[in-house]
Amino acid sequence: MTDGTDLLQAHLLDEHDWIGANEICRVCRIELTAVVELADLGVVSPRGYVPEEWQFPATALPRLRTVGRLMRDLGVNASGAALAVELLEEQHDLERRLRRLERLIHE
Amino acid sequence: MEYRDYYKILGVTRTATADEVKKSYRRLARKFHPDVSKEKDAEARFKEVQEAYEVLKDPEKRAAYDQLGSNWKSGEQFRPPPDWANGFEFRGGPRAGAGRQGGAGPQGSRYSSEDVFEEEGYSDFFSSLFGGGAAGGPFAQAGGANRRRAGRDHHAGIDIDLQEAFAGTTRVLELKRPQLKPDGTLEVQPHTVKVTIPAGVIEGQPIRLTGQGEAGPGGGKAGDLYLEVHIRPDKLFQLEGRDVTLTLPVAPWEAALGGPVKVPTLAGAVEMNIPAGAQSGQKLRLRGRGLPGQQPGDQYVQLKVVLPPANSPEAKALYEEMRQNLAFDPRADLAR
Repeated sequence: MTDGTDLLQAHLLDEHDWIGANEICRVCRIELTAVVELADLGVVSPRGYVPEEWQFPATALPRLRTVGRLMRDLGVNASGAALAVELLEEQHDLERRLRRLERLIHE
Repeated sequence: MEYRDYYKILGVTRTATADEVKKSYRRLARKFHPDVSKEKDAEARFKEVQEAYEVLKDPEKRAAYDQLGSNWKSGEQFRPPPDWANGFEFRGGPRAGAGRQGGAGPQGSRYSSEDVFEEEGYSDFFSSLFGGGAAGGPFAQAGGANRRRAGRDHHAGIDIDLQEAFAGTTRVLELKRPQLKPDGTLEVQPHTVKVTIPAGVIEGQPIRLTGQGEAGPGGGKAGDLYLEVHIRPDKLFQLEGRDVTLTLPVAPWEAALGGPVKVPTLAGAVEMNIPAGAQSGQKLRLRGRGLPGQQPGDQYVQLKVVLPPANSPEAKALYEEMRQNLAFDPRADLAR
């Protein structure tokens, strides 16, 4: 079977779109136990009563993906990955601000 | 295909112990991991290191690889000898006793499109020696299932320009959709899709492509594919959320006296008024000129006063006149 070129509309997701726990675990390649730990650490804020039924805002995806990668690839545990991802975000933010300042000075 | 010297890649000798291999891998993984690495080509290097470790950490794969001999050089044209892995027990089936069985047979096969993405991340060299699928070598497992490889999903991102984020764009993606064959093995079908990304996407925003993810167990309904959009840094505009900032060089008289100037925006040049008495570093706001959305972003214009060079007698004279007549001390506040 040959596929033609399908034209698809990407759905932009924001904090109003919710993704279920199973889906998040699949997409971010992370175990539910780790997700529970991350929620305890405040890395993500799901809604719902039991972890299996938790839902996450779509905006949590990039963060959780990064956590998943750090845990798998670098053998970091959940709390280490949580710390790392927060520091990484802060670093990106600082780099952005630095770039803006540098433009002001050097150009 | 090209030979890969896994020992060289991991920076260990051929007689390295398992512990030495692991230590070296961990150091290199940390060095090149794309999320934390500052090295250029980090992702490519990381993939290399991962692949090398995949082979050298496994005693049987390592032994099979060693059988190729140590005379090969990295990059040399290579073909595996037909009987290179003779003597290895597992051929074409799940490996007994290695704890990696599970999911044998069509119903039990578990896989995900992400796993298949990773399969594509291995070199031809690796695949020819250790690749999955029924046609692969002695390490093939039915269904190609259950390999919990450390994986990278950096390809789960789409890179676009700021202009594309502003106006919307289309992208052609090649997805590799795993199809479950009747005999339980996985076949990867390349599948091209054209994706329309609407205007106003922000950095790191997830997008969902319905039904483009993996099929359910036993070839059931396909799940969704999630990708992240990354916006490349722009030469002119600095993006933060939906707001953009532009540094605008202005002449001293433009800042001091004020007046209209032409300013680039994402939608083209517009006229903006500089208030009299503006100073370098001052930020002016153009409402709604950032990325579109429910709450459209703004454009900030940061003024940067630049001085005309005093490179002619007239220019020098003008500067001298200012010095004499303006009674201006910029360092008045510095005095202790």
